[in-house]
Amino acid sequence: MMIIDTADLTKTYDGRGGCRNVTLQVPQGCIFGLLGPNGAGKSTFVKMLAGLHRPDSGRAVMLGQPLGRPEARRKLGYLPELFRFQDWLTPSEVLSFHGRLGGLRPRDTRSPAFRSRVRDTLALVGLAEAADRRIGGFSKGMQQRLGLATALLLDPELVILDEPASALDPVGRHEIRSLLKRLRDKGVTVFLNTHLLEDVEALCDQAAFLYGGELLASGSLRELLGGATDGGVRWRFQVGGWLPDTLSAILEAAGGTSASALRLIEADANGNAVLSAHVSGREQAGYLCALFIQNGLTLYESGPEANSLEDWFIRMAASRQGGDSR
Amino acid sequence: MTMYISATLKELTRKRVFMVTLILTVLFLLLFGVGLHELTGMTEQEPNHAAKKLMDSMLFMVLGLFFAQFLASFFVLFSTMGTVTGEQENGLLLAVAARPLPRWKLYLAKWLGHAVWIAAYSAVLFVAMVWIVHGATGFHLFAGDLLRSFVLFLWMPLLLLTLSMLGSVYLPMLGNGICAALLYGLALFSGLIEGISSEGGTHPGLEKFVLLTGLILPTDSVYRRSLYELMGGSDWAGLTGTYMGPFSVPSVPSNAFLLYTVVYAALLLYLGCRAFDRKDL
Repeated sequence: MMIIDTADLTKTYDGRGGCRNVTLQVPQGCIFGLLGPNGAGKSTFVKMLAGLHRPDSGRAVMLGQPLGRPEARRKLGYLPELFRFQDWLTPSEVLSFHGRLGGLRPRDTRSPAFRSRVRDTLALVGLAEAADRRIGGFSKGMQQRLGLATALLLDPELVILDEPASALDPVGRHEIRSLLKRLRDKGVTVFLNTHLLEDVEALCDQAAFLYGGELLASGSLRELLGGATDGGVRWRFQVGGWLPDTLSAILEAAGGTSASALRLIEADANGNAVLSAHVSGREQAGYLCALFIQNGLTLYESGPEANSLEDWFIRMAASRQGGDSR
Repeated sequence: MTMYISATLKELTRKRVFMVTLILTVLFLLLFGVGLHELTGMTEQEPNHAAKKLMDSMLFMVLGLFFAQFLASFFVLFSTMGTVTGEQENGLLLAVAARPLPRWKLYLAKWLGHAVWIAAYSAVLFVAMVWIVHGATGFHLFAGDLLRSFVLFLWMPLLLLTLSMLGSVYLPMLGNGICAALLYGLALFSGLIEGISSEGGTHPGLEKFVLLTGLILPTDSVYRRSLYELMGGSDWAGLTGTYMGPFSVPSVPSNAFLLYTVVYAALLLYLGCRAFDRKDL
């Protein structure tokens, strides 16, 4: 089941900026990352989902309801990017206020069950100690945590987070990552709009790339990074003793097995080389390592490719820039 | 719809808006009371004491309520000029508007939140001012007149609130504050001009100007009808027709005009709801 399903969703500002013809599906129970450089239209898209912007054209269904209807936001938790809360209130009061905005009656928000819910939610984001302190004295990170608590208060089925870790320190970011994973495990769909690619790599099952207001790619992270749909990963090897005919010797020795996906990235005159291969898992990577050693190479380093998302991000943006310039 | 009533009270109290406003209001009322006491002491020694006392008590009541409505209006302008765009600019509206509440309900809830406390402040001002003038001058009060005047006195700032909130959907905070203050000033000015010119016969051009400003922002007209009711309606209000210069009430807004103000407020609220519903935040 798709939690978010858009077709040709468009929103521009006097014909410029924004996003155009975005067709995107987000399945239930996954963590979905929306990527793109500044000005790509990510915030415009997110604001349309949150009901803050009206689309110019296109169609969208969120949580089974047409976008724009209040019912579509009944089970939505939303953390905006550049938000502020009433700094004269306390976190408990903000959550009670949002409980009312979410449809609870005054007596519901005064009930022991709701008060307990408020305490638990604040504890979940690490604000239990500050529950009755005025927000005016909060750091940016504490405000961010409160924003997250507000988004999670009413048991949402879909959580849209716009740069959730931007104001957090490394410990805070780690905590938020753990929290988002727990939400996914509970079946909550998380839609993440972030610049932090390591968060996307660590968390997201699926991602989409927006550039210049257009959707350039979307799918599972593995599909996007390696073009593979078999669940494999790209592995990187650093070896010594490399000769010009070593690659053909290894491929011959492998006899048409998966080592055929092996390719040479770079090699220098001293015999040092970097190779890359798409493998199904550690076992297959280990098999390749054994082949290298059998062919007289020294294996210096072996492991999954690091920063591959960053490489992909830069490649996508650069290819589009090249296309634009042409 | 009522969630903003307590939220607005917390904002007004914790941002010390109420405290500062109440302290300055009490100071103003004290000064007014002391001044009134001194002035009434002087008039008691004059000949034709009874008639003079009656006229002076009416004049003091008019003056007192004029400044009271002035205070209430400024309370409205400063507390509501950034209701929509101000909260949009500082990010307060983002998490709120994403909740499953229709925008028109959110707009009306915000209006109600302000309206309750504006009405409360205006009520305190009215009661305090009437009580001071009554105590110092013996101004005659009749329950029916007092109630009608009181309701109209509360209605005046609510009209201004409705206009200010509509402006806040379209204009930035400062721009809206200036716009609403200028419109309020224009309505006030036209009322004062009408009062001054009332002694010199009729002026058709001026009457049209006063009518037009009254239609654009009927706050001054409602205030003058409130005065008329407090003065005992047709029994005594004639005395205020020309005697009080700029504070005179030469033409009393009709019941039809009061009905117009209700339609005016409903229309402005409708336009505000519609504009807020279509606004990108």
